[in-house]
Amino acid sequence: MTLFQAILIGLFAYLGSKRTPWFFGVAGGWNMIGRPLVAGLIIGIILGDVRSGVIAGAMVQALFIGQITPGGAMPADVNWAAYIGIPLALAAGGTGEQAVALAVPLSMLGLGLFNFIMTINAYFAHMGDKAAAKGDGAGIHKATYLAAVPSFILRGGSAMLICYLGTPLAEFLINSMPEIVLHFFEVAGKLLPALGFAMLLKQSLAKQWMIVLFLLGWVMIGATSMSVTALAVFATAVALVFVMAQGETKVVAAPAANTSAEEEDDCYEE
Amino acid sequence: MKNKNENSLLTKKDIDKAAWSYIFFAQATQNFERMMGLAFCHVVEPILKKLYKDNPEEYKRALQRHMQYYNTEPQLGALIPGITIAMEEARAKGEDVSEELIVNTKNALMGPFAGIGDSMVVGTYSPILLSIAMSMCMNDGNPVGPLFFCVVWLVTIVAMQWYLFHKGYSMGIDAANLFFKNKSLADKITTGLTMMGLIVIGGVASTTVSAKIAYQFVSGDMVIGIQEQIFDKIMPGVLPLILTLVVWYLLDKKKWSATKIILAIVVFSAVMVALGIM
Repeated sequence: MTLFQAILIGLFAYLGSKRTPWFFGVAGGWNMIGRPLVAGLIIGIILGDVRSGVIAGAMVQALFIGQITPGGAMPADVNWAAYIGIPLALAAGGTGEQAVALAVPLSMLGLGLFNFIMTINAYFAHMGDKAAAKGDGAGIHKATYLAAVPSFILRGGSAMLICYLGTPLAEFLINSMPEIVLHFFEVAGKLLPALGFAMLLKQSLAKQWMIVLFLLGWVMIGATSMSVTALAVFATAVALVFVMAQGETKVVAAPAANTSAEEEDDCYEE
Repeated sequence: MKNKNENSLLTKKDIDKAAWSYIFFAQATQNFERMMGLAFCHVVEPILKKLYKDNPEEYKRALQRHMQYYNTEPQLGALIPGITIAMEEARAKGEDVSEELIVNTKNALMGPFAGIGDSMVVGTYSPILLSIAMSMCMNDGNPVGPLFFCVVWLVTIVAMQWYLFHKGYSMGIDAANLFFKNKSLADKITTGLTMMGLIVIGGVASTTVSAKIAYQFVSGDMVIGIQEQIFDKIMPGVLPLILTLVVWYLLDKKKWSATKIILAIVVFSAVMVALGIM
């Protein structure tokens, strides 16, 4: 990996981290550029191997598909997993399985960095407090812009340095591994995504019987040659039939409440 | 927009600017102490400056009340700053809106919106899109997969934030009531999305998780490939399905932590590989 490639990866690692305003805020940054699937494409373009990048991205994505970050409490650091795990695996000539294997420990180590930035960033809130106490609006904006600096240095810098310096080590590790260890990574790399889906199941199952829906989806794709896009259309139909059959009366009540609330314009009585 | 009444202190342009500022900066200053507090103040400051331009003391107090702890799911939560701006405008017009009411409204809304936003936007909508995108590129590395995700996600989420922000401003506190009163409609959307998500995610899981038995049973001339002749006969992918359900059982019912499960999978794989079973 050249230094220039490492710098580009560091830059995108920053753009995909949690505190970046630059590209439509949290929607375009953390929730888009920061997703391993998208990271895989970006890293693939930077390293000149789009195909491997996208496949590795999709495999690492599966590992983290069930991860949501309520209240900033993060179970694992997706940013390091995506922007260090994928490039290191690709640069060392590895594949998606190696990216998954690297992503797991990196996501745990990255948590330390995440918590560190979340802690030191309180400094800028205090800076904002002082500005607010003086009635200094420009000071609020200044504190907001300055809050991007530690993220940029730590997120971008760490990804760049580890990718650049870690490539020879990752190359050495992957090339000197005996056949059986490589095979182990392959097996573990294909099993670990089960955790991602299990986490998603844990948080989505509103009622226990809904596990059948998961089984239905699995069997339909596993046993037929249906594409997932076709399955999505089918799933939408199933969900609609269920929701509609639940009771028509409630649907009628909804628009009525809508209009009555819209008629009252400026009422803050309550 | 409904707020085109003649005595409005803010123009459509002011609100548009604040909406963009929110979309870009909502999460920009996140920290453990205030979470999104500073960014919230940053978003509403230009509005406050205009509303309280003749009253520096009130302006200062307004800045301080929006510096407080604030935390929600920023994407669905775009309704809340809209409501806040409507309330600040009413206060500036001399209506009976106390500081406490503004602060309490924000605090009362941020919890429910965080809950619904995390489970619906981040926990269901995003995984559905990611699943469809992953299925497009998992085998052949087709860049259409990630590009599909980027375009659909960005367009829908930015449009949703824009709509909610403006809805919050034009309806004020009624927007929140509307949201909570229509509980049956919200429940339907939630149930429908969850059901759809579970089916799609089941499909993608079947193409992603894999486990193959390499072991072959040999007895004289007879060779039985356990994978091909037993498991594939039952149902292709039956083994990874069982393993995924076991992981879910350990996670959800046995309350294992993610780290413990990762270790268990690693040990399981190592043993299986060492024994030559997988």
